[in-house]
Amino acid sequence: MTLTTKNISALAWYRPLGMFLFAILISGCATDLQTKVAGNLNSLSKDQTVAILPIETSHLGQKEMADMFRHGLYANLKQSKFNLLEKYIVDGLLKQNNLNDPASFLTINPMQFGEILGVDAVVFSRINKVERTYFILHSSIELSISIQMVDTRTGEILWRAEQTEHDFSGIGKIPTGIFTALLAPIQFVTNKFNLRKMTAKMLDKLTALVKKPENAETNSKFENPVIAKKATIDLKKIEELQQLKAEWTQALALDKEMEPEVLQDGTHQEAEKETRALKNDPSSLAPQAMDKIQNEGPLRSGVRKVLDVEGELAPLPTVPQPKGQEAGTPAPLNMWKATLTTPTHIEDGEKQPRELVKSGKNIKYAPTRSAAFYTVQVGAYKTKAYAQNLSNKLVKKGYNAFVTRNNKQIYRVQVEKFKNKEDALKLAELIRKKEKLKNFVARATAG
Amino acid sequence: MGRRIVGPSRIFPFLTPCIAYFCILLAGCGTVDLEIRQGYTNSNMQPRSVAILPFTLEEPDPEEVSPHELFRTCFYNYFSYLGYVDLPLKTVDQKLSRAGLTDSNKILELSPEKLRRILGVDAVIRGRVLAANNFTGGIHAETSIHAKIDMLDLRTGDILWETEHKEMIYSGILSPTIVDIIRDQMENVKVHQAYFKTAEIFSVNMMKEIPDPADSWNEEIRLPKITYIETNLKPDLKLKPSDRIYVSLKGDPGLTGYFDIGSWKSNIPLKETVPGLYTGSYTIKASDKVTSSLIIGSLKSKNGLIGKKFYKNGMAQFDSSSTNGP
Repeated sequence: MTLTTKNISALAWYRPLGMFLFAILISGCATDLQTKVAGNLNSLSKDQTVAILPIETSHLGQKEMADMFRHGLYANLKQSKFNLLEKYIVDGLLKQNNLNDPASFLTINPMQFGEILGVDAVVFSRINKVERTYFILHSSIELSISIQMVDTRTGEILWRAEQTEHDFSGIGKIPTGIFTALLAPIQFVTNKFNLRKMTAKMLDKLTALVKKPENAETNSKFENPVIAKKATIDLKKIEELQQLKAEWTQALALDKEMEPEVLQDGTHQEAEKETRALKNDPSSLAPQAMDKIQNEGPLRSGVRKVLDVEGELAPLPTVPQPKGQEAGTPAPLNMWKATLTTPTHIEDGEKQPRELVKSGKNIKYAPTRSAAFYTVQVGAYKTKAYAQNLSNKLVKKGYNAFVTRNNKQIYRVQVEKFKNKEDALKLAELIRKKEKLKNFVARATAG
Repeated sequence: MGRRIVGPSRIFPFLTPCIAYFCILLAGCGTVDLEIRQGYTNSNMQPRSVAILPFTLEEPDPEEVSPHELFRTCFYNYFSYLGYVDLPLKTVDQKLSRAGLTDSNKILELSPEKLRRILGVDAVIRGRVLAANNFTGGIHAETSIHAKIDMLDLRTGDILWETEHKEMIYSGILSPTIVDIIRDQMENVKVHQAYFKTAEIFSVNMMKEIPDPADSWNEEIRLPKITYIETNLKPDLKLKPSDRIYVSLKGDPGLTGYFDIGSWKSNIPLKETVPGLYTGSYTIKASDKVTSSLIIGSLKSKNGLIGKKFYKNGMAQFDSSSTNGP
């Protein structure tokens, strides 16, 4: 077929019109979707259960939209590889645990949701914007949401997405008549059907990658595992706690070998017994027993630090026992740890009268405030040369290190003498970090 | 200067098309007229477990798609959001197939007693798709599903609710804009998606009308209880291949116990050695791709609810030189 001049001039007219229509068609319903998934999302199967938490809204008027969105999200994710915890169970358990405010969910460790709901992952979502605007011949709807799925077992973010959907009605879409030009914009913003249609469309795009994570391209995958902020903090604390316990165990072993002079024989054994009990079940210890442990020299710093970290781990102060049932909900994580940190006598340990010295035996070891000092012990050797060697190294680095010998002929390398325990603890931390030397704060008497 | 009052003769020519336009627009988003035949005032009488039977199609299947099957799947996805214990579609089909029932029409004719015996549920949902249509031609595009759905209480044989509704997605000369017409035409050509979208709107509209007993069960929800979890992990222990992690947990008796090591090893079985005490172990393999992980104990009840407890006294730490750690 040959093109005549007339045809060409006609094409010249149609082309811009066609392009204009095409541009409107594309821009008419604009979507901005940023989504990323983790490789571990692929490992979820029907054996793993996921809970969709109630949706957070930016203001009260969005409640209906939030319900609609959650229902749609549930129906869409029902087509995925994992199992979904039914909505009424999620809501019932949250209610039993007094977790009624979706805005606070992100401040709670995902692991805690794992225990409360019995799930392997949770979906947090937020409606950022539901905006309907109308101006004579033009109206528009804009929806914006953000969502993330977190593995409760590891705190890893398995899926994160932000989506904004925008659609409009007006002259730009070329009305079919004068009435539609006037009325279509009104109908567009007032008819809930349009909002529902947009939400359905939005969810379809949003969940496409989660339904088939194996289709994710490289740019839609997290390069490295991303851990949720709250989980990172708590996991770090657990690791720190574990490290402290390891050090504590080491200190205990050393302590046993050296028979610290601040303890009497019988009391030391008692304290150790209690320490062992603490390791097995700290909740079984009476506050008095804890206090006693806290007052024992080398043990004290370790125990206190462990308790400090454990105390920080205590989550969810708002979670009470479920009403009317004893066993309905798992106990909040570290509930026992929370109770251990609260008694003030742990902090006031030094002010308590010390019964250890009352018997009169070994009175020379009884610490008196005037003669006692705190020091950082970095090593203990049976051979003096080794102890001296370490001491010399530290002295060369500027530390006030010295070697002492106890009644069991153990040579201890200690650094500095402090009246204030806090200063000793600071130095201990510094030596641990800078010199990579495990240590503990010991209390000793002068001379 | 007085204002000229616009007479009725000037308004009427505009009013009629306006009303017609709104009528057409509103007709497109019809609400489902659900008739509740048997309302339970006593929440204990409400059906708890429900199965959705295979939907039937009165007309022969349109090419390549089965709108009734699509509709059933879509309906199930939305229905399971409500407060019923719904049997997964696969389980329903398997149970029916094991009973030698594969013809959807014959299943609908079964007595409530027989259905209850086969499926073991309180109620069933039956769906008959009376007509399904997808058409795109000229400037007209339409996809519709006309169906009759009801819920049958298998304990009493009563129909609890029923509806007959036609859901239609339409686009054509009455659409407000040319861009919408073109867009709708392009979307309607994808038959599978068009049916699914129509089924979705049908389902969403229905869910707003179906009674939801969720609130009745709130107080009854109870996860299996785990009172403690213990492991052989030690603070300074670095696990190597052939090392074994022992886990024991105490909780409600008679349940299925298992534990996870982080997310990389799941569902390691625990054996109930004495009532309420579950123990198990896992031996680290050289091929395990491991990271520092928490140990999580789980107890699963027969109704699928899971109680979990994290061992928070330490993490399983691995000697990275001897395992395939990341």
